[in-house]
Amino acid sequence: MVIRVVAVGFMLLAWACANAQHAGHEDAARVELAASAAFDAQGVLWVVSKSGGHVMLRRSADAGKSWSAAQAVNAVPEGIGAEGDARPKIALGTRSEVYVTWTQPLSKPYSGDIRFARSIDAGKTFSVPLTVHTDRQEITHRFDALTVTRDGKLFIAWIDKRDMIAAGKGANYQGAAVYFAVSDNRGASFGGDHKLADHSCECCRIAMLPRDDGSVLALWRHVFEPNVRDHALGVMHADGRVSAVRRATFDDWAVDICPHHGPSLAADAAGRLHAVWFTQGAKRAGVFYGRLRLSGDGGVDALRRVGGEAAAHADLAVSGKRVVVVWKEYDGTRSRLRAMISDNGGDTWRERDLLATAGASDQPRALTHAGRIYAFWNTQREGFTTTVIAP
Amino acid sequence: MNRRKFIIKTNSYVIFSLSTVCAVGAAVPDTALLPFDAGSLATLRKSHAGRPFVLAFWSVYCEPCRDEMAEWDAVKRKHPSLAIELVSTDAPADRAQIDAFFAKYPPGPVQKWIFSDAFAERVRYSVDKSWRGELPKSYFFDAAHRVEVKSGRIDRAWIESWLARQASRDR
Repeated sequence: MVIRVVAVGFMLLAWACANAQHAGHEDAARVELAASAAFDAQGVLWVVSKSGGHVMLRRSADAGKSWSAAQAVNAVPEGIGAEGDARPKIALGTRSEVYVTWTQPLSKPYSGDIRFARSIDAGKTFSVPLTVHTDRQEITHRFDALTVTRDGKLFIAWIDKRDMIAAGKGANYQGAAVYFAVSDNRGASFGGDHKLADHSCECCRIAMLPRDDGSVLALWRHVFEPNVRDHALGVMHADGRVSAVRRATFDDWAVDICPHHGPSLAADAAGRLHAVWFTQGAKRAGVFYGRLRLSGDGGVDALRRVGGEAAAHADLAVSGKRVVVVWKEYDGTRSRLRAMISDNGGDTWRERDLLATAGASDQPRALTHAGRIYAFWNTQREGFTTTVIAP
Repeated sequence: MNRRKFIIKTNSYVIFSLSTVCAVGAAVPDTALLPFDAGSLATLRKSHAGRPFVLAFWSVYCEPCRDEMAEWDAVKRKHPSLAIELVSTDAPADRAQIDAFFAKYPPGPVQKWIFSDAFAERVRYSVDKSWRGELPKSYFFDAAHRVEVKSGRIDRAWIESWLARQASRDR
């Protein structure tokens, strides 16, 4: 009888916990919303997200109206970072390759390995995951980012603490470093590890943008002397060289803080750089859009605030002269997915409300395919949503 | 009849303790973590009416937060009457990491909480409409509950200066 009473109690507990969200709480234990999405050249939308110890892959041939069954990328479960700016990433190659990265947290706090798996048969099968970097210390290798260049080379960048460890505790090495590795054989192997810059912030996503000459631009939150967490730009080359590392934003956010709120970067046909970022700097606080100058001493043009005081996690995409910024903003009841649209390269804008949800949600993403721009958003209540930004 | 009564009693106990059990998991925790949601600050304002208190947010994923733990420990030991409410913004699934973190970086005898609502924006908004989740983030409420906000790693000298201001107001 005691067993039966306990069993009934546990069943009721399980039921009550599962229904707790109806009493004004989203069940925190079950929410795994962090997702990344990308279109391939044929217009198939691919999404990776985390489920327990697996990166799960799903695809949609109709721009998000219907989805394939979820498929595990890694057959053997392992730890997968999916909090804040951390999440699995996906990029599509030029010859039907599907590339996936994630950060595997290790046992020491803030430590991790950058993991990679590829499919060279359009997602039917995936390789056994490998660790991208040659440095195997149990330290920070986190916040993976990946992109594929026009000539098919795969660039993976991440936040790395080997230089801070090597400097020793007395050295007061600020922040971490950005490292990268390149594969010129469709992800079969990587040449690395190359350092892009010392003194990055420790916990923000890195934005990457392939360029016509085969190099890749990166935009990341940096730590400028003495502790200013504004952004830096730099160019990574396939041979491991680095060029044009410079300051990109000038907000003077002097603080030792963990924002988990990284930038995004896109280029228009004229080569102008468009960016969105978050700051609580002395000069301005909030989410901002601007065009980043590549020449001279740098600087920001067409600077503009994005949304209101609760705006967060903006992303942007560019198609021709059209620039679209998407972000989410909590209004006291619901999180709203909003968009800011410019048809003249960021000089003038109009705003639109796209969606709203009354539960937990992921960061939104702006995607492009065939000249159209889409907002992708994963919410607890609605699941994957894909909204085309109408012309 | 007796059996039926027993079941009802057991179940009412289960429901009564539900918020705590759902928030921290079924395993017996090393450290009690109270569930923090969008109504918790209002409750704290009532329970600390007329008295200053500190509301400090952190996460196991936040490196600058690590260095603050010893500060809270020291402040609490030096000023035992000051209420320090230390809130983890992590999910209940991070419980093992939180216990390991506290074992290595003990924050001392402060009141400890954890976000109990995965709709984190709702919880943050109830504290500060413009807080986007950056950490550490601390709110210093004076006796009239006027608040001073500190973003980023806080230094001991600032906390002591805030405490001195509270003491001078009392005189």
